Amino acid sequence: MIEQRAAGGPILRLERVSKVFQMGEVAVEAVRDVSLEIYEGEMLVMVGPSGSGKTTILNILGGLDTVTSGRVWYRDQELTTFSPSELTRYRRETVGFVFQFYNLVPNLSARENVMVATELSPRPMDVDESLQLVGLQERLDHFPSQLSGGEQQRVAVARALAKNPEILLCDEPTGALDYVTGKRVLRLLVDLKGQLGKTIVLITHNGAIAPVADRVVRLRSGQVVEVRTNPEPGAPEEIVW
Amino acid sequence: MSVLDRKLARELVAARWLILAIILIIGVGVTCYVGMGSAYLNLTEAKARYYRRCRMADFWVELKKVPVAELDRLADLPGVAEIRPRIQFYSTVDVEGVEEPLNGLILSLPDRRRPIVNGVVIRRGSYFTGRRQNEVILNDAFARRHRLGPGQWVRLVLNNRRQELFIVGTAISSEFVYLLGPGSIVPDPEHFGVFYLKQSFAQEVFDFEGAANQVVGRLSPHARRRPREVLRRIEDRLAPYGVLHTAPLSDQPSNKYLSQEIAGLRSFGMIMPMIFLAVAALVLNVLLTRLAEQQRIVVGTLKALGYADSQVFGHFLKFGLAVGLAGGVLGCAGGYGTAEGMTYVYRFFFEFPRLENRFHSALQLSGLAISLLFAVLGSLRGAWSVLKLRPAEAMRPRPPKRGGRVFLERARWFWNRLSADWRMVLRDVVRSRVRTAAGVFAAMMGASVLVCGFMMMEATAYLVDFQFQWLLRSDLDVAFRHKRGEAALWEMRRMPGVDWAEPTLHVPCTFRHGPYEKKGAITGLAPGARLTVPRDRDANPIRVPPAGLAMSRTLAEILHLRRGDLLTIQPIEGLRRTRQVQVVQIADSYLGTIVYADIRWLSRLVGEELALTGVQTVIDPRPEKRRLLYRELKELPSLEAVTTRDDMVQSLKETLVATMWIFTGVFVAFAGIVFFGSVLNASLISLAERRREVATLRVLGYGPWRIGSLLLRESLIVTMIGTVLGMPVGYLYAELAAAAYESEMFRFPVVSSAGTWIWTLVLAVLFALAAYLVVQRNVHRMDWLEALQAKE
Ligand SMILES: Nc1ncnc2c1ncn2[C@@H]1O[C@H](COP(=O)(O)OP(=O)(O)OP(=O)(O)O)[C@@H](O)[C@H]1O
Ligand SMILES: [Mg+2]
Repeated sequence: MIEQRAAGGPILRLERVSKVFQMGEVAVEAVRDVSLEIYEGEMLVMVGPSGSGKTTILNILGGLDTVTSGRVWYRDQELTTFSPSELTRYRRETVGFVFQFYNLVPNLSARENVMVATELSPRPMDVDESLQLVGLQERLDHFPSQLSGGEQQRVAVARALAKNPEILLCDEPTGALDYVTGKRVLRLLVDLKGQLGKTIVLITHNGAIAPVADRVVRLRSGQVVEVRTNPEPGAPEEIVW
Repeated sequence: MSVLDRKLARELVAARWLILAIILIIGVGVTCYVGMGSAYLNLTEAKARYYRRCRMADFWVELKKVPVAELDRLADLPGVAEIRPRIQFYSTVDVEGVEEPLNGLILSLPDRRRPIVNGVVIRRGSYFTGRRQNEVILNDAFARRHRLGPGQWVRLVLNNRRQELFIVGTAISSEFVYLLGPGSIVPDPEHFGVFYLKQSFAQEVFDFEGAANQVVGRLSPHARRRPREVLRRIEDRLAPYGVLHTAPLSDQPSNKYLSQEIAGLRSFGMIMPMIFLAVAALVLNVLLTRLAEQQRIVVGTLKALGYADSQVFGHFLKFGLAVGLAGGVLGCAGGYGTAEGMTYVYRFFFEFPRLENRFHSALQLSGLAISLLFAVLGSLRGAWSVLKLRPAEAMRPRPPKRGGRVFLERARWFWNRLSADWRMVLRDVVRSRVRTAAGVFAAMMGASVLVCGFMMMEATAYLVDFQFQWLLRSDLDVAFRHKRGEAALWEMRRMPGVDWAEPTLHVPCTFRHGPYEKKGAITGLAPGARLTVPRDRDANPIRVPPAGLAMSRTLAEILHLRRGDLLTIQPIEGLRRTRQVQVVQIADSYLGTIVYADIRWLSRLVGEELALTGVQTVIDPRPEKRRLLYRELKELPSLEAVTTRDDMVQSLKETLVATMWIFTGVFVAFAGIVFFGSVLNASLISLAERRREVATLRVLGYGPWRIGSLLLRESLIVTMIGTVLGMPVGYLYAELAAAAYESEMFRFPVVSSAGTWIWTLVLAVLFALAAYLVVQRNVHRMDWLEALQAKE
């Protein structure tokens, strides 16, 4: 195995994790016996077809969902044994989420949507600055309904950034973005990793994004089918889709 | 302000119509609580202050005539703290410029002012001076009504002699907070007054040198708890002198009416607010559950961002608290205003040195606390539902609600006959179980308040009709000071303008039946009397038996007597021979404990052939005839009282009906807010929940009115069900209220006519329609295209 660049040991670790959703009579096995380590300071991309369990894994990593079996570790602490208040603290201080469907609060402006996160964080970024980073400095006081899908997604990214978390969990952060903005957001994430040493887990449908990652995990039917390491992660500017 | 609070503020503004309705309902509840509570405290405090100031008596004893020296010895009885013998007489009063003879109660006061039991508070002028013997102090209300004041003269018939009395002052006293003339149920200062004479002067004119015929006294704090024991001892001691009547403070008419009003305020001041606040909590519950449901994803997101469960819970609770706070503040202000109004009305009925509406801060605070409490109760279910939500789960949009069949569809023959619209309406009513239940409950409470309000109004009207149109039918009654023979009847029949006259005989008695004993009086009526017609429960006339008694239900219950039972009676005056008599009939009466008997039979019982103490008459209504009659009556010194009943009934009706209209108006307004608020809420929530469905219907070609009509039908169904269910509840309230106000002196009938039920239904529909108008406006304004596109 090649040595892990820039990174120390694993910051997050899944140990034989399974997740079963019970829907009345039917049990949906969304995640099956997945073991995976995520290293500090790396960018890990998860790809896989719809329904393959990407979001479920991300939710488990972010402390939003429980596992059916297996264990999850954050550094040397076992997430799966956390009390509700410890989990809340973990979500508040350690992870930042970019949701697949943005999940903005409808009656709060762009700036306020970011403030919702910063008000909780022990060491937040400047709110306006984070929105500037995603190119929304002009739309600070617009409400979600007045923003396009791409703009909403950028607010969601800014909200995750502004908390200044150690780990960023991004569920299709570029899904609704056009080519140019998509690349900008990617560049931002890459810079965050490079300059601030953040750990980033990113889900995408878009295989073209894979080259910017340090590692690419491929999922199918709730199982890891491939983990590929990019010896030379490319710059976002170089990729095309 | 935190961002979440900003979010909250915007949500409150966005839902302003919905929450305004709830705020109003809470406001009404707190208004009742603070309003009645304040009125309660105002009256209680004024009463306590006044009683202390006048050294209100703990007992009253009425006698024929007893040496003062004998009475003074009563003070040695254990438990008796202080006594005052006094002289008391009824008299007709002649006021300059007033045609009709008026009535007065004459009481003696010490010549020189000193602290006494049942003292007076001087309002105008002064206490007695040393200048004249024939000085009089008038009760202030009578003086005001007749524009009498210090320096003027008034003419009274005292001991068969007309006396000119010089007014030195006007006064009020704690024993006449609620001053009732003979046979009335509301104060009538126009026709009845109290006249205080110097003790020495009263002794002189009534030939009561060193004697008195009434004792008022105060008890030691210990004896105050069981006044009847002391009264029994006093009665034993004074038995040789003929005790006419004894009453502890709790039986004293003025105190009784006042205390009953206070007690009524207390119980209604608790029940009414609970009704409204419970409705508000339920409606709020529906709103908040919907809000929480609608904000699942926001809740999930907030939790994912690191908000603690308790923070999110608190955020939702704050919504309810804001509504509760607004309602509470509104209610506190409304309550203060209501108490102001009630106190104003009370000033017409109750005479206090000062009756003011104070700001009761503890009560106001508790009102606020109660509104917050109910708001929290109403918010709990909604807030709770977000508490346990795990973030990942919350963020997944909920699967669409199952649209299965409702139970009504199993009634095939019924369901198949319904139009598609009706099916939609019924499905929604049945499926939105909580909302429907809240709507039904609100309508129930609204209807019950309406029914109860209307029934109280009807009861008042019925009471007046029963008492003064069916039972007592005379125009003018006279009462003689002493027992008279048949000649007195003929004398009255010969009076100008008297069309018809009937004799009455009033015999004070002690009734005994086994261990039960009660002082009262028997009224003798001529056979087939037309001017006093005793009635049974259904207001049908009862024939007074030629021998035996027709007893009022109230007294029969006190003595545990049934029709046909025997009891012992003993007249208090005269020979005082004990007799066994039979209860032949039970009569109904709402005022007092009346017992009727045949006048000849009763006369023989007291040892005479035909005795009478009063005459009831029908008189010529023409003013000139009346004037003649009044002039003659004023010349008759033997009269103790002249009651012109038509005047009294007139003023009684005016006062009672006016007050009842005010109260019913308030009841209707309050019930209206409940109906309006709950229907508005339910419809707007239904509209919001079904935006998609509505949009789809619009695409299918439904116009806004037709969509509005779906909502209207829904709310009418719910309102109707609730109203019908609420009617018996209202009837129950009316019964409870009647029971709460029932006493020996006064019973409140429970009557309801078709009008009560019809009006309740009509008003319920009208209020629902009023709410529908607002809903319809919202339907018209709805952006259904957006609703169609929005992914929720
Ligand atoms: N709360 C839940 N209840 C029931 N089933 C669930 C739940 N969450 C996820 N699933 C199921 O688990 C499986 C994995 O879902 P997941 O959302 O993780 O997929 P995904 O890889 O993120 O898909 P997509 O690319 O469409 O976002 C799916 O079959 C989904 O239906
Ligand atoms: Mg997904």
